[in-house]
Amino acid sequence: MNKRGVARLIALLLAFAMIAAACGGGSSEEGSDTTTDAGGSEETTTTEGNTEVTEAVVDETVDKYGGTLTMALEAEATGLRPWEDTCSAPCYNMAISVFDKLFEQDVDGLYQPYLADSVSSNEDFTSWVITLRPDVVFHNGEPLTAQTIVDMWAIQQTGATSAGVLGSAKVENVEATGDLEVTYTLGQPHSAFPSFLSRAPIGMVFEPGAAAADPDGFSTAPVGTGPFVIQSRDLDNETVMVRNENYWGVDPEGNQLPYLDELIFRPIPDEGTRLDALVSGTVNGMHTLRQGTIRDARDADGIARLEFQGNNVGGGMFNVALAPYDDVRVRKGLVMMNAQDQVIAALGGEGISDPGTQWFSPDSPWYSQKVADAWPKFDFEGGKALLQEYVDDPARSDGKAAGEQIDVELSCPPDPTLIAAMQVIEQAWTASGLVNVNLTNFDQQTHINNALGAPPDFIGTHGAHCWRFSSDSDPSVDLNPALAPYSPAVAEAAGLDGIVSPLNFANWFDPEAFGAAVAAIRTDDFNERFALYESIMLRIAEEVPIWYSGHTATMIATADNVNGFNGWHLPSGDLGIGFPAAEGRYHEVWIGE
Amino acid sequence: MVKVILSRLARLVATILAVTFITFIMTALLPGDPINAILPPDAPRDPEIVAQIREEFGLDDPVLVRYVNWLGNAARLDLGESYVNRGQSVMGEIKNRIPVTAQLAAMAIVFAVVISVPMGVVGAYRQGRAIDQATSAASQIALSVPNFITGIFLIWLFAVKLRWFPASNWNRWDKGIWANFRTAVLPASALALSQMAIFSRLVRSDMIATLQENYILSARAKGLNDRFILLRHALRPSSLSLVTIIGINFGALLGGTVVIETLFALPGLGFRLINAINSRDILMVQGITVFVATVYVVINTLVDVLYAFVDPRIRKG
Repeated sequence: MNKRGVARLIALLLAFAMIAAACGGGSSEEGSDTTTDAGGSEETTTTEGNTEVTEAVVDETVDKYGGTLTMALEAEATGLRPWEDTCSAPCYNMAISVFDKLFEQDVDGLYQPYLADSVSSNEDFTSWVITLRPDVVFHNGEPLTAQTIVDMWAIQQTGATSAGVLGSAKVENVEATGDLEVTYTLGQPHSAFPSFLSRAPIGMVFEPGAAAADPDGFSTAPVGTGPFVIQSRDLDNETVMVRNENYWGVDPEGNQLPYLDELIFRPIPDEGTRLDALVSGTVNGMHTLRQGTIRDARDADGIARLEFQGNNVGGGMFNVALAPYDDVRVRKGLVMMNAQDQVIAALGGEGISDPGTQWFSPDSPWYSQKVADAWPKFDFEGGKALLQEYVDDPARSDGKAAGEQIDVELSCPPDPTLIAAMQVIEQAWTASGLVNVNLTNFDQQTHINNALGAPPDFIGTHGAHCWRFSSDSDPSVDLNPALAPYSPAVAEAAGLDGIVSPLNFANWFDPEAFGAAVAAIRTDDFNERFALYESIMLRIAEEVPIWYSGHTATMIATADNVNGFNGWHLPSGDLGIGFPAAEGRYHEVWIGE
Repeated sequence: MVKVILSRLARLVATILAVTFITFIMTALLPGDPINAILPPDAPRDPEIVAQIREEFGLDDPVLVRYVNWLGNAARLDLGESYVNRGQSVMGEIKNRIPVTAQLAAMAIVFAVVISVPMGVVGAYRQGRAIDQATSAASQIALSVPNFITGIFLIWLFAVKLRWFPASNWNRWDKGIWANFRTAVLPASALALSQMAIFSRLVRSDMIATLQENYILSARAKGLNDRFILLRHALRPSSLSLVTIIGINFGALLGGTVVIETLFALPGLGFRLINAINSRDILMVQGITVFVATVYVVINTLVDVLYAFVDPRIRKG
């Protein structure tokens, strides 16, 4: 029985046993059937590995227009200014309904034009010419032109989130070279530059006139070209959007999109309540990034589940700039003593989450079996031997006398499943008799701050620190900033003056790995890039600056009659990426009978 | 009497000052640079931008200077601006959220009173009998069950199984009274349960004492029926401590709905406070904490002053 079930049982026994007995209905059935027949469509659910794949076979005569989707999200969006507000999964669900992006990923993860119509680059990938889709208007009636993108750039240069992305992409200039043609000039080659234009900070197209007129107000009344227009926004309660009657998008049959009349987002942070809200019909859609909720949803009746196992992988990192984590014997020894399966079980991901060995999940085109084989496997005695070697070393880096225990601070945010996982790790490490583990929990923001540190060095105060890695974007998006020099001193020593990344949280700078990351954005040949990213992952497996638990399974669940999350299309007619990291696309979602 | 009021007001001001100071110091002592809460992790730490933000929020001033500045603004009802949601005033947020929390607290109190008064009266009237033992046991259980467990159970029963009420969220008044009531009833009930237990025990014990008074014996001797004696002669004098505790608990509920608001996803003060804590939005945390503490202290002071009006012994004391 899950924790929520236990809580209910306690409540039942303590307070309301009689009532409950009288009113109890049918209990959840094991392995509920997710095959649905809704409004002329049939969704056939199959399982491939740990990923649930739902293929929609749609009767084209069905009227898909109308209806309201009320979607429960795990949190409220801090704000909806693409250039200013940090946008995680809940925010992304809302933002993608209001704003279109210049590029979008297809089902294979490749970048295709979306609000852009076409794209080309020069040979060294430093100049990118993008032609915009014609006849697109913003919600306030303003037309989309090349000048729009230039005016956006002016705002993005000082934006809290966009300025960093512009810096990472080394965007030096954005120029209107035609009515609908815009040229991005980069200060360094970047073969995957469209990946930057597919995310919120610089990829989501907003109306710069409205943004400049009222930057704060834009957060609650954003103006984009997207399929839905914001009607009202009551923070922490509900955001109501209605169909954009002038939307440029059409489905593969040429029908005007979107299908829904109304789209409502409600933040429901409690995982159990969110699932209950769906099961009870309070909402007809929800998302989750928690394995435990996916497990509970698998036991629930009357809902359709769409599970996605992406590249994002949990685990942790060592602060390689500090002793004793600066010694690879300590890092590797600790990782080898860590029983990954038990940690995944403690996280609630048993049977849901694939064990991680790299930044790519097994179904990613970047996944390497060679890396999977190279990643240190659970070997308690082997790990202990490595630690013993360090402990007995008279020149050990932590300055302690030979024979003394190693002090390790293991820190995670105060999430119950993370705490359970911490305890599993602590027990394993402590069992060696060589490690003294100090467990700490800080709120999410402090946890990040501890790892971030302060300028100019950004070394942080963390030791062994719970963390997440990777995403379904191009590998360069996450890897390049994570591998770049973390301080001016390190950059100078490596002859890389001016290249400093506070996002190298592990403070692990490896010239070989960083060199490969840089080389990978100078070519667009997939095989070449694959080999470079494989070499980076092999370096990580060798140097072990981080450790992995499992890949993050995410889920969008809906009432049986909600369709279209898994079959939306790009303007080219190709299938889109689906719903990575529980980020849905709503323009082809429709409600059946 | 004026002296009593002045003394209570002086105590009120001192308490509020102490609360603001302690809250300010505690949030100032939290580890980490507030800049990291203001700027996203991947934002460039351009020294000029950082210096500008520090100046804007006065982060380079000594903590006591910051406190005095903040207090001066607070006296003009300006509690500052959110670090995270730039442009959002703390006072504006409190104004926007307090109707939700106040309604929940009020409904919880009303639900609790409606159930607890008959329970307490019956328990006192049938002292030691089966019904008294049953109501006492029910109160004990209600007091022991944490309100979030009650909330989870109510969602399961009334939303998932019976589908009478929504599992979460809040309909504001402009959507209609019934729509608003439907979203408020489960969280208010979850909050009401423990209040009900406290109130019923209070009414019961006060009623037991009142029923032993001579004037009650006299009323019985006159042949008045029990219902009349209970409701007309015994209940009113037994309600004084109930009224007091209602006032105090209403104040406490304004700051005590955090868990229930989070569980039911209600846009009240508690939910905002939790979000502010999680995002290290220090001015928002400070503002809401001080507001709740001030309301609590003011209500307590009002109760003290009212008592002084009602009971001459307190005035003299």
